[in-house]
Amino acid sequence: MSVETQERKLTAAGLPANLNDRRAPLWWGMLGLITVEAVLFTSLIASYFYLRFYAAEWPPGGISKPHLLLPAIGAAILITSSFPMAWADASIKRGNTRNLMVGLALSFVLGVAFLTLKFVEYSGYDYNWATNVYGSITWTIVGFHSAHVIAVLLKVAVVFAAAARGYFSAERNLGVRINGLYWHFVVVAWIPLFFTLYLSHYVF
Amino acid sequence: MTTSAAEEYKTSATGFSALSALTAVDHKTIGMRWIVTAFTFFVMAGLLALTMVTQLSRSGQDLLSAEVYNQFFTMHGVTMMFYFAVPIMLGLGLYFVPLMIGAREVAFPRLNAFAYWVYLFAGVALWISLLLGRAPDAGWFSYTPLAGPTYSPGVNVDLYALSVSFLEASNLSAAVILIVTILKMRAPGMAINRMPVFVWSLLIISFMIIFAMPPLMLGTIMMALDRIVGTHFFRAAGGGTSFLWQHLFWFFGHPEVYIVAIPAFGMVSTIIPTFSSRRLVGYLPVVLSHVLIGIISFGLWVHHMFAGELSVLAMTFFAAASMSIAIPSGTQVFAWISTIWMGARPRFRTAYLWAVGFIPLFVIGGITGIMVAAPPFDWQVHDSHFVTGHFHYVLIGGVVFPVMGILYYWFPKMTGRLLDETLGRWSFWLTFGGFNVAFFTLHYTGLRGMPRRVHTYMSGQGWSTPMTITWLGALTLGAGFALTLLNVVKSIRRGEPAGANPWQAGTLEWSVSSPPPAHGFDTIPTVTSRTPLWYERITEAGRRGPYRLPEDDRVTIGTSILDGEPEQWLLVAGPSIAPLLLAIGGTVAFYGALISLWLVPVGGLMAFGAIVLWNWPGRNREREQSS
Repeated sequence: MSVETQERKLTAAGLPANLNDRRAPLWWGMLGLITVEAVLFTSLIASYFYLRFYAAEWPPGGISKPHLLLPAIGAAILITSSFPMAWADASIKRGNTRNLMVGLALSFVLGVAFLTLKFVEYSGYDYNWATNVYGSITWTIVGFHSAHVIAVLLKVAVVFAAAARGYFSAERNLGVRINGLYWHFVVVAWIPLFFTLYLSHYVF
Repeated sequence: MTTSAAEEYKTSATGFSALSALTAVDHKTIGMRWIVTAFTFFVMAGLLALTMVTQLSRSGQDLLSAEVYNQFFTMHGVTMMFYFAVPIMLGLGLYFVPLMIGAREVAFPRLNAFAYWVYLFAGVALWISLLLGRAPDAGWFSYTPLAGPTYSPGVNVDLYALSVSFLEASNLSAAVILIVTILKMRAPGMAINRMPVFVWSLLIISFMIIFAMPPLMLGTIMMALDRIVGTHFFRAAGGGTSFLWQHLFWFFGHPEVYIVAIPAFGMVSTIIPTFSSRRLVGYLPVVLSHVLIGIISFGLWVHHMFAGELSVLAMTFFAAASMSIAIPSGTQVFAWISTIWMGARPRFRTAYLWAVGFIPLFVIGGITGIMVAAPPFDWQVHDSHFVTGHFHYVLIGGVVFPVMGILYYWFPKMTGRLLDETLGRWSFWLTFGGFNVAFFTLHYTGLRGMPRRVHTYMSGQGWSTPMTITWLGALTLGAGFALTLLNVVKSIRRGEPAGANPWQAGTLEWSVSSPPPAHGFDTIPTVTSRTPLWYERITEAGRRGPYRLPEDDRVTIGTSILDGEPEQWLLVAGPSIAPLLLAIGGTVAFYGALISLWLVPVGGLMAFGAIVLWNWPGRNREREQSS
């Protein structure tokens, strides 16, 4: 039996099939994943401050406080990337595949720019994860977050490829919205991490 | 995907070919795998324990060397906690939750298959290390600096850190599946206050897993990084501290105890009403107790660290919090006793014996728990056999007894055959007697100063006689469990046919035939009470309702979170090889780190390919809508 017949028959019983909105199980599944990851990032931040307040000086071992300019530009770029993603999401709800693809591509480029800046910044430091515990925790936090950015970039690439084949439409766009939700999470997660890694040195 | 939905059901549930076994996603198939695998680990870890207690049965024995003994007690603890206790709860949940809430599948069947493969691979990798004589040997909580690269240079502790990290991916996936299934896929009319208590217990522990396991995962990853790439998280020389590990571990480790205990409470709340022919007394207080235990359990992890450097204020707080958990626990005990009291004359079947036997054991374990929650007492008995005795009362008496009860209770549903009652009774009484002899005695040797985790001891300390008694008790206990294993092997082929509802129970899983048909429910039932089979007489033949589904569709119904109002039809994902490939990619990435760090991105790429294969929209729309 084809899927279309199946759906007609079920819809006839008075209920819609597979809602595309926040009542979809997949939406809740993605919220579950995001919660898990949020707890993971929270644990990283808690570990950072635990180690910081355990240490006599911070950063230890003569490492200087990080400069703010480059990381601030990176953070601004990453936050900006959420806007084209939201626009892409809104576009496909109206059935506009072209704008969907433009939005995805813009976000993708901004995500790559953020990663490039991180790479430039970290290759400029004269300490690494094996230097001391400050190096360990900062490199681990940045590594974790960058791995998330890479993962979500790959995800966007896949959604883009599906969009290019005309898969998404005004009715069928749950994949885009779930992907967008995760993108926004990776962006928002960077805000407390940015505070932890950079601003906190100057605040207290 | 070209197979029709009908073939999908067949291949996932009844057919057996190599490919269909590897692509199966049906929640009963996967749930059964979780259950069988968990019991296998239980038997293996139990045999380790019997060997250890034989070694200790007299002073100065040399059955096991110190190195092997360290590996044995570590593997016993790791296996029992991570590979038996949590997975058996999740496995029973993944099998029975859909049947208890009137759904045909779990929310994400493929994720379920993935979670199982990860669990299996992480377990096999760990046990291969024992066969090679390289098993983890720093205890199940693996304290640094002992577990750091300086004092444990071999591959042993690497395997601990990597296996536990990897396994958490499995537990977290299962938790998300259970939460979404329970919240979104209940039968129409099953408002959240009509859910069976067992389903509540799984909902609560799934949330606990989501908040407790990521910190552990982070801790074990840090441990692996310290050991493999030279970071300094837990190494004092580079500015790190072992206390960070202790906090991360116990922030998980204490909720962990309740993650396995709350479903056990749920099982007792399932068995006792059935055999008392009465609904549970105090449904609301019992459910609230579960919620409260779940919340409080996050506020008492530091009581495992009383012997460390802590302020008096911190100790006072965590001691008070630890003792307060006795209140919701006690509430449930009174609910069970009241149910027995107010119900009809109980039917003393084996399942009921295990559930009732649980109550005194759990109370004893709870009382010794309050004793060790007081810091001065804790300092006295810390790391002694008293603690070992305490937590075995909680974990065997409080967790394994209900699991055995639920095995006798649900075995007929899973296989269509009853377990033998005579063998069951022998098994229960041998286990109950042997358990008390073995573990009550441990409290005594602990108070006489015997430390845990020593591979032998000298004579003349007054420990030999009680340890011999413990040994005899343990052998009896082992014989008791062996009888149940024998019973399962015997009854699976020749047991008495069970019929749909052998215990005249009230919940929905008993409305389908035994074993359940591949598609689960013919008609998604509409319910108006907590025990629909008692109050609404939903029977196999007489089920009516608007939600009759064709047998061959992988489709179920989605309802609203609180009230269970029907919202939508859900097409559920069918068989796929992608979950297995993803688990293999993950295995390469995690364990590859021991061979070459280059294998980490290689495994990552394999995993990415598997995810694309998993989600890539095919001709069948099912594949987009639900994974």
